[in-house]
Amino acid sequence: MDFEIQTWVKMSAFAGGGIAMGLGAIGAAVGEGNAAQSANQAISRQPELSGEILKTLLVGQAIAESAAIFALVVAMTLLFSTFSADSIMVSVVMSAGLAMGLGAIGSGAGSGLPAGSACTGISRQPKMSSKITTNMLIGSAVCQTPSIFALVTAFILLFTTFSGRPVSPTWAAIMGAGLAVGLASIGSGLGGGLVAEKSCEGIARQPNSSGSTTMLMLLAQAVTQTPTIYGLLVAFILLFKSSPAADSIAPAIALLGSGLCMGLGAIGPGWGIGYSGGMAVRWSARNEKAVTDITKVMLLGQAGVSSTAIYSLLIALVLIFIA
Amino acid sequence: MDDLGKIHQFIIHAFGKDFTFNVETIVMSWIIMALLICFGYFAARKKSIFPGPLQVVGELFVTQLFGLAEDALDKEMARKYGPLVCSLFLFLLLCNSFGIIPVCEEPTKDLNTPIAFGIMGFVIAHYAGIKTKGIKGYLAEYLEPFFIMLPLNIIGELAKVVSISFRLFGNIMGGAIIILVVSHLTYSVLLPPFLNMFFGFFVGTIQAFVFTMLTVVYISVQVK
Repeated sequence: MDFEIQTWVKMSAFAGGGIAMGLGAIGAAVGEGNAAQSANQAISRQPELSGEILKTLLVGQAIAESAAIFALVVAMTLLFSTFSADSIMVSVVMSAGLAMGLGAIGSGAGSGLPAGSACTGISRQPKMSSKITTNMLIGSAVCQTPSIFALVTAFILLFTTFSGRPVSPTWAAIMGAGLAVGLASIGSGLGGGLVAEKSCEGIARQPNSSGSTTMLMLLAQAVTQTPTIYGLLVAFILLFKSSPAADSIAPAIALLGSGLCMGLGAIGPGWGIGYSGGMAVRWSARNEKAVTDITKVMLLGQAGVSSTAIYSLLIALVLIFIA
Repeated sequence: MDDLGKIHQFIIHAFGKDFTFNVETIVMSWIIMALLICFGYFAARKKSIFPGPLQVVGELFVTQLFGLAEDALDKEMARKYGPLVCSLFLFLLLCNSFGIIPVCEEPTKDLNTPIAFGIMGFVIAHYAGIKTKGIKGYLAEYLEPFFIMLPLNIIGELAKVVSISFRLFGNIMGGAIIILVVSHLTYSVLLPPFLNMFFGFFVGTIQAFVFTMLTVVYISVQVK
């Protein structure tokens, strides 16, 4: 079979759109299911609060769904836009789909966790329901950051012109950029969700500490996003560093490998930082006197965890510059 | 859709080099600075024990943000860095939600603005560290836990600037892209105002706060 380039681009856009929405649906569904499970438990504990809990559940699920909606937006753009008939576009549209699909997994699954623990918390402290809901909203919204980074990368990929650059190593740089951001978002999204979940739990146990708990949560969530930001940095370098044309396949694989290295290397740190931050936030709510010490230990622990992400960043940069 | 990612640039050729100015970013930053100066002037013009509405708002910001600085640093340090914290937060708050007004654009949507603030925070934090610990104590920290860790410690410090500025840029840019694309898909019916509220006010405030908090934490890590 002999296809024109236009057909190849079209095929790749369809496949990319399918991948974006297919992968993007995983996380949000798991997260919303988790929220609904906790809501059921909460209602069976406090049946008279069912209206309040149902409201919280619906709001939480709506926020948890936004990662999947980002994926939907990218998939629609891929399906309904016309792309120039350039052989590099085959790689561009596929990479945009992969970045958004993978990037929505973590945020979707993560932002369901605070919704669940908010429902449990309201059944435990009905009077504090407005504070718990506010904290949940802030926590879930910050959880979306990794998927927003994936969205930014997907749109930068789609709307940058790569036509003047040699096809041979550039296709791999583009694929690498999508994979770096997409994979790196998984861990950070889950980690941010763990932190927000524990903060809702903490506020439900000790309502007086809600202000300081929310602040510590924001700080901890910001640190969980660091690995994703390394992924974003590697993706930007891959996209905007022009590499000379090469006949050999080696430079291309080095660029692809650099994206994979950063993406896979960031999954663990994001998740791990989330564990450290979550416990710190939960216990700082109950032990207000020790907040300074807890914060210090949390930041030190997170610095330790994120060193493995820095090793990945180092290797990814080395791979880019020796390619 | 076509104006996505386009920046109006003003290029001057001088001394054999090109100096590029991003017009929108600069003009919007100046407008925001002028607004903040006006706010400060009118809030503090008639100081009285029965405060006027503007004075109440100003006092609210100042007491909250000074309290934040006191929690992270100690009391003496907080007096020194409090004004920085206040102005950073207020400026970023206005920057992030400026896109709600038609025609206006968020200056933080341009990566140059967050990077400038990130570098500013980095320099201030390290200056504070050198001042409290002395140059010897400051340099010795890079050799911990072993001297082999020196390159990794340096990369870790530089990565802080990258992470703080890309976080702000990514969130604001992402919000702007979503609003643009959804407006395009729905022909600007119904949805975009809600999205503007969510990404402009809600996400914008959170990200301004996160940026300010992280700058304070970076200073406190260096000082202690």
